[in-house]
Amino acid sequence: MPTKHLIIDGATASDQWQTIADDISFDGTLDEATLDGKGAIISLARLEAEADTLRQRNTPIGVILRAGEKVGEDPHRLAPFLDMLSLVAIEFPVYRNGRGFSAARILREQYNYKGELRATGDVLYDQWQFMHRCGINAYEIDGDIPLATFTKAMDSLPDAYQPAGDDKRGILWRRS
Amino acid sequence: MAQHASKHAAFQALTANRLLDGEVVYFTESGTWVEDFAAALVVESAKAQDLLTRATSGDYEAHIIEPYLFEVADGVPVSVREIIRAKGPTIHSHFTKPFSDKSV
Amino acid sequence: MYRYDEFDNEMVSARVAQFRDQVERRLSGELTEDQFKPLRLMNGVYLQLHAYMLRVAIPYGTLSSRQMRMLAHIARKYDRGYGHFTTRQNIQYNWVALERIPDLLEEIASVEMHAIQTSGNCIRNVTADQYAGAIDEEIEDPRIISEIIRQWSSFHPEFSFLPRKFKIAVTGHKNDRAAIKLHDIGIVITRNGEGEVGYEVHVGGGQGRTPFIAKKMTDFVPRNKLLAYLEAVMRVYNMLGRRDNSYKARIKILVHETGADEMRRLIEAEFAKIDASNMLTLPDKEAQRIMAYFAPPAYETALATSDILQAAQSANKDFTHWCATNVVSHSQTGYAIVNISLKPIGGIPGDATDTQMEAIADCAATYSHDEIRVTHEQNLVLPHVRLDDVKAVYDALVPHDLATPNLGLISDSIACPGLDYCNLANARSIPLAQDISTRFADLHRQHDIGELKIKISGCINACGHHHVGHIGILGVDKKGTEFYQITLGGAADENASLGDITGPAFTEDKVVDAIENLVDTYMNIRTSADERFIDTYRRVGMPPFKERLYAD
Ligand code: SF4
Repeated sequence: MPTKHLIIDGATASDQWQTIADDISFDGTLDEATLDGKGAIISLARLEAEADTLRQRNTPIGVILRAGEKVGEDPHRLAPFLDMLSLVAIEFPVYRNGRGFSAARILREQYNYKGELRATGDVLYDQWQFMHRCGINAYEIDGDIPLATFTKAMDSLPDAYQPAGDDKRGILWRRS
Repeated sequence: MAQHASKHAAFQALTANRLLDGEVVYFTESGTWVEDFAAALVVESAKAQDLLTRATSGDYEAHIIEPYLFEVADGVPVSVREIIRAKGPTIHSHFTKPFSDKSV
Repeated sequence: MYRYDEFDNEMVSARVAQFRDQVERRLSGELTEDQFKPLRLMNGVYLQLHAYMLRVAIPYGTLSSRQMRMLAHIARKYDRGYGHFTTRQNIQYNWVALERIPDLLEEIASVEMHAIQTSGNCIRNVTADQYAGAIDEEIEDPRIISEIIRQWSSFHPEFSFLPRKFKIAVTGHKNDRAAIKLHDIGIVITRNGEGEVGYEVHVGGGQGRTPFIAKKMTDFVPRNKLLAYLEAVMRVYNMLGRRDNSYKARIKILVHETGADEMRRLIEAEFAKIDASNMLTLPDKEAQRIMAYFAPPAYETALATSDILQAAQSANKDFTHWCATNVVSHSQTGYAIVNISLKPIGGIPGDATDTQMEAIADCAATYSHDEIRVTHEQNLVLPHVRLDDVKAVYDALVPHDLATPNLGLISDSIACPGLDYCNLANARSIPLAQDISTRFADLHRQHDIGELKIKISGCINACGHHHVGHIGILGVDKKGTEFYQITLGGAADENASLGDITGPAFTEDKVVDAIENLVDTYMNIRTSADERFIDTYRRVGMPPFKERLYAD
């Protein structure tokens, strides 16, 4: 795995989260000390199964939404838990799999989710700006890509034809 | 696609397209990529993978894209597809490339 | 015609600059081919058999003479002197060098053209009826909503990495010339009970390996809600479309596997949410502004008949024949729609040379209010010609071999590039079209046979629309040699149907004979000259044709 670095809201950031595999139990090995103050990113299945107990803990909880191939995980399933989530990681397993663009917009626009929306996986340079427009605000990108390149990519298109999950209104709504 | 070389073919050669203009090129004995099929290095199928490995080690992507092996029999490509690649489209006589088969 | 404003220009220029940078990074070695390939594919650059191919978008098939002259210039300067008009109303150049493409794109941008979204898994160029704004009994010019869709779908952040490519077609007329039922989304402009213009939306049509006729999802969406409705369809597709198998990734498979009723329910549910937010409700003023671009040209008042035209017809039989096949009546009294066949006998369907393109541009500038259309059947149209000028247009077209009187006849076949160019092909398409056209060269015979649509694809991707040919021909590969499978009974119009396979495939040297056998069979059993091939097939079915085809 190439190293990744994290950009949140346009600035390099240190990761305050750890991904916790389904087979690691919160009660046993995984105490607050192991987490070292970091939040735990868990699977959607686990979130649904353990939400009640997780609500009792102080650990910040995030979830990863898997893009899948034949079917992907449905962002609507997050609805009952959004109040307890401060991060949703959206998986883009290969650049071709763009389900996450819709998932991001659904969470931002239909559920008014305000927490961190993080793109993970294999994403192309040219997708960052589109992700931003869909409401994603955090990116795990290859370690050797400088922040300047990221910033440039975010500006590659000067404007937008259509509204989406950002504050651009789309030219069709602005001309008249 | 019809270009896949089968394991049974006795001979194979290696082709690609040139990066700059997309022109069809063939790998030669001396390790260069040339336009003329007649100059292509044809090897026994057993050695074809070695040929591909040799051609695609190093900085090949600076010159060519999408290299692959194809079958050759009696000095000409076996498939219609590879004959058309070697000669040019069959519908524009003025674009036909000089084509010499390797049996002569 | 729609004209770019500063905004459109800025977006296209930004994309050209971006692609220039990407090409430079690839040539300098900064980008690997793996990294570069998806980028070039987002700009219409494919690698074909012999060279790179560039596909330039012609939105809803409308061109000005200035744009056509630019296409001629590009053919001469960057290609080998010709271009190929496609079934998607686009143009393809077959011999462009990668390093020159950024310059080429900059040149076409100067006439408001681009190659954006002509490849990749995004919403492609919207196609429309080629007689838009010119044909009688049209409810509304389909280019208005097509332009609105073009803008909404350009650089759409959510829908640029769909499961597969996505094609939208629009017709504003009861006779469907845009094959809307064979598109991912087909839109029919309609009126509701109150006389208000809106859209009937069909979803899930398509050709390729598993062809489907689109299912009607709604009878009526008002103009200001259409983008919201389309966004709902796209979102349902983007979330639920399959990504495990590229052959099952088109929306037609989703509609088929989900069922039309459930699909409708999903779309309606999403539409309700988007509609409630109002964010995609199109402002009426903007709709009016775009509509104004497609206002009818300044027609002259003219009589319904033309003495000049009638005199020319009685003096010239060839001209009369050409008028009968290629000239269509116009909604404006004293005007006609003129079809330019790009299917000369023995020629390459859809190809036009630089000088031909220039001759057509001249005709459009002088005689057709500066407009040209591209048809999905790979011909061109001069939409607004005065009856008095029809002969002058004919005279201007003849020296360029552009006046073949064969529109809709057997030699007016659709053919995809096939194995002469295409990297995915199993067999050649173009030489077959040429051979069929040569075999039936006799125009009297063609007219006698009447309407017969032959459509040829070089592989199951069906770019040549073989599923919907009255006679469809599909190239298949058997151990590196070409074979052709024949289908009968397909149609792409308002009575769309998919063809049935006749039986075992034919070798290249047998297929033209097979076509002739089919035609002879039809001629023998048709009830009258008014019964078209497709009508006869629908009446009698496969048996007589099959019997004759496989008689020996
Ligand atoms: S149908 Fe097949 S051969 Fe023809 S252009 Fe499409 S992909 Fe190529």
